[in-house]
Amino acid sequence: METPRPEGEAPAPKQQTMIYICGECHMENEVKARDPIRCRECGYRIMYKKRTKRMIVFDAR
Amino acid sequence: MPVMLRSSNCVLSGKSPAEMSKLNECPMDPGGYFIVKGVEKVVLIQEQLSKNRMIVDTDVGRKGTVVCSVTSSTHERKSKTDVIVKHEKYYLKHNSFSEDIPVAIVFKAMGFESEQEFVQMIGSEEEVLGAVAPCLEECHKAGVFTQLQALKHIGNRIRQRRMWGGPKKTKVDEARDVLHGVVLAHVPVTEWNFKLKAVYLALMVRRVIQAQCGLVRGDDRDYYGNKRLELAGSLISLLFEDLFKKFNAELKKIADLTIPKPRAAQFDIVKHMRQDQITNGLVHAISSGNWTIKRFKMDRAGVTQVLSRLSYISALGMMTRISSQFEKTRKVSGPRSLQPSQWGMLCPSDTPEGEACGLVKNLALMTHITTDHDEAPIVRLAFNLGVEDIQLLSGAEITSKYVYMVFLNGNILGVIRNYKRLVSTFRLMRRAGYINEFVSICPNHAHRCVYISSDAGRVCRPYIIVNKGRPLVTSKHIQELSQGFRCFEDFLKEGLVEYLDVNEENDCMISLYEKEITMATTHLEIEPFTILGVCAGLIPYPHHNQSPRNTYQCAMGKQAMGTIGYNQRNRIDTLMYLLCYPQAPLVKSKTIELIHFDKLPAGQNATVAVMSYSGYDIEDALVINKASLDRGFGRCLVYRKQQCTMKRYANQTFDKVMGPMVDATTRKPVWRHSALDTDGICAPGEKIENKQVFVNKWMPTVTMSPLSSTDQDKQPEYREVPISYKGPEPSFIEKVMISSNPEEAFLIKILLRQTRRPEIGDKFSSRHGQKGVCGLIVPQADMPFSDTGICPDIIMNPHGYPSRMTVGKLMELLGSKAGVLDGKFHYGTAFGGDKVVDLSADLIRHGYNYLGKDYVTSGITGEPLSAYIYFGPIYYQKLKHMVLDKMHARAKGPRAVLTRQPTEGRSRDGGLRLGEMERDCLIGYGASMLLLERLMISSDAFEVDVCEQCGLLGYLGWCQYCKSSKNVSTLKMPYACKLLFQELLSMNIVPRLSLKRYNEV
Repeated sequence: METPRPEGEAPAPKQQTMIYICGECHMENEVKARDPIRCRECGYRIMYKKRTKRMIVFDAR
Repeated sequence: MPVMLRSSNCVLSGKSPAEMSKLNECPMDPGGYFIVKGVEKVVLIQEQLSKNRMIVDTDVGRKGTVVCSVTSSTHERKSKTDVIVKHEKYYLKHNSFSEDIPVAIVFKAMGFESEQEFVQMIGSEEEVLGAVAPCLEECHKAGVFTQLQALKHIGNRIRQRRMWGGPKKTKVDEARDVLHGVVLAHVPVTEWNFKLKAVYLALMVRRVIQAQCGLVRGDDRDYYGNKRLELAGSLISLLFEDLFKKFNAELKKIADLTIPKPRAAQFDIVKHMRQDQITNGLVHAISSGNWTIKRFKMDRAGVTQVLSRLSYISALGMMTRISSQFEKTRKVSGPRSLQPSQWGMLCPSDTPEGEACGLVKNLALMTHITTDHDEAPIVRLAFNLGVEDIQLLSGAEITSKYVYMVFLNGNILGVIRNYKRLVSTFRLMRRAGYINEFVSICPNHAHRCVYISSDAGRVCRPYIIVNKGRPLVTSKHIQELSQGFRCFEDFLKEGLVEYLDVNEENDCMISLYEKEITMATTHLEIEPFTILGVCAGLIPYPHHNQSPRNTYQCAMGKQAMGTIGYNQRNRIDTLMYLLCYPQAPLVKSKTIELIHFDKLPAGQNATVAVMSYSGYDIEDALVINKASLDRGFGRCLVYRKQQCTMKRYANQTFDKVMGPMVDATTRKPVWRHSALDTDGICAPGEKIENKQVFVNKWMPTVTMSPLSSTDQDKQPEYREVPISYKGPEPSFIEKVMISSNPEEAFLIKILLRQTRRPEIGDKFSSRHGQKGVCGLIVPQADMPFSDTGICPDIIMNPHGYPSRMTVGKLMELLGSKAGVLDGKFHYGTAFGGDKVVDLSADLIRHGYNYLGKDYVTSGITGEPLSAYIYFGPIYYQKLKHMVLDKMHARAKGPRAVLTRQPTEGRSRDGGLRLGEMERDCLIGYGASMLLLERLMISSDAFEVDVCEQCGLLGYLGWCQYCKSSKNVSTLKMPYACKLLFQELLSMNIVPRLSLKRYNEV
């Protein structure tokens, strides 16, 4: 087990800044750890996360 | 200021459905609620007794005396004035007097010194004269003959109120002030002319005398004409007025303090205005529901409620809810029972069961609640129509048997000789649109009065006007309405339809159907089904059901899962239940169309076979077809919200989110963190199981004390506070919202989704108050099937019918079956709907049995069943109660700290209680060892040391009381018992244990 690293520091294997989607104009915004949450395009303060890239399996029931 | 949604000041007002959907709002949403601090709040309609009206109560107190009381309410104060009977004399009772004042003295104080004058005002009949005489005598005994003496008499009996500043007044002035402004505050006194108030008071005395003599019956407090409904608007305006006056008063105080001091800068009032005071006051009142207005001595809790968004119907039903001010604990049936005067105004079916039964009501479909209207034009019209001003008349003329007294909103206007002409002309003027359509006028022959009202809060509903035995609305008009050339307002404007309030309704002849119209008929009911409210409107053929079944359905319709709005997928509610494949009911009603339930449905049309099957259908349980479930019957979505905030603390430390913990060997996140993204927040679409983490939040260990200077440079220590998932079934992450709010820097909302298929124990209900749980899920191969190869979705036990008498459900089945065969919807509207004969004819036309019964083959044996089975679709609702949310079991687990007994409740992983009644059974059976195990060993067994000598508890084999360990023995008892002994000791009560060996008893 490795001690967890706060993001932003130490070269993690697949480190990238997260991309969020603005709730108003659907612009993609890069938001870093302690940035204020605000759309660069329209100034809207609600963001949504993008869908996971991993594969999801559902039970067909 | 909080703005009511879809009100005239709201951005959504007047928007077309297309514009609404562009704004991500549901066009079907009724509005009428407030959004305060992110919560939808409804201000419930408040019911109360009407203000400024005389109410004569007979049978008051133990002696059963008569009281006439008036609650006066003006813009500045509220006060109650009573005229009471004591020792056959009449007294004025009011809060500001320390004792009851004889009415004769009050009249003298108002300047009516001549006894003839005021006796005539009360009346000149034999009974009145006889009743008033003792009052005069008392007045003489008290030595009151002039106005000055009377005022002195009253002045000595005024309850001292604390006065702030102002010149000291004499007793006489004080008495005059109280009579002027406090007693019967709503009756205006201009320039110290007490005539109007004296006449009003005289009338109160007259009413009491008449009630005593049995000439007039006392008023009924439960009569709906005596009620007023307070809407959000008037409640908010009261609150605003109070806050605004407070704001002004504070501003004035600041100005008074600062202006006299010499200052360099000029006094700027704007700088001293607290800009959020009014907003905060309103927001606080709406979010907490506590309405406190000191001026009116108003202090109500629970005025607002959170809008329930379980289903569209529950939200809609909440808007029409009326709560009354009666205490729930009082054991009187009057206010709870259905009053005949509520006909058409309130829904007779929709009321909760139990505690609040009959106190919480719901509006009917066409009810309108009036708002205030200007009195001036009405006064002018009344005088023009021959009303004689009261100021010009003497007592004898006022009480003359040839005239009727005219009232406007509880105040005396004057008298009229020909009241019939007044009433009829007044109504004609209203129909012609010269006065507001919500002004009502009606004569009361017992009181010999004509009451005109234009005040707010009266309930009323529209009726078609009938003239000379013919309704004014003809088929031509209806045609124009359906073609869109005409709207409802046109009918009002042209005087074809008018609104009647409860009082005026009782002065009219209203015919229910057109065929029943006679020459005496004045109005025609528009549609009989509108006497029901929105919730009861969903029920097909409710007029064929036993009445309590409709009431049950009204409560259950609010728990049904379905759709809650076109924007339901944008919402992040704490809990939201949706149906995967909702269907519009096959048998609908006009109400369903009016409220668009068919567009936002909550249920599915299930094919039901009414027969017994397998024995797992007793006690209302349902047997469900497994293949139907596979096809999506009753499948629902459960959305749940998880929330977390990143706080900043006093010592400049803050919470942070960390990336997932990575396994050293595989370089992959550990299982608990497998749903997390690199930002430490779970990703939408990810599956999350019990104990997995949503947000890997870390919190500083020290949050309060400021960091010492040596610690300044190094990182503060953190500890893990992950937000993790709890639940027996995994969920999927639907949506993750990130935002910030004024207090916390960072706000994360996570919406979780579960898709559930019905399982054994889930609750279903038809629209007839017939609820049942799923008892068995059967493979389609084993289900019975009809000759056309149709297999039922649900098998329902026929024993549900005879005792419930829900004939409406039987008719719904016929209607749905006929509708399905023809490919159309049938109507089951209340007091109407499609007739059974026609439905049967449709069935015959398609080669079915006209009773709706089918030939059915058993799926198990392949033999035909020995009876024809009642078979067809019925609209079924899935209710929110599901096994998955309730299942609970525990072997061992947490215990309460104080008693060391297992905790209570599923949320705390609590134990299953062996209660008093179960205990009684075990005692009765004599299972002593089982009792011991259940109540002590498996619960809170504890070893204590007891001293045999003193009987007190010791410790470690040592008795502190006897200072010896000689007689100490160890025994087991419940910890709660030991706790009780210790608590008793602390109260100075000594419980002593006396021990004996069990084999020596």
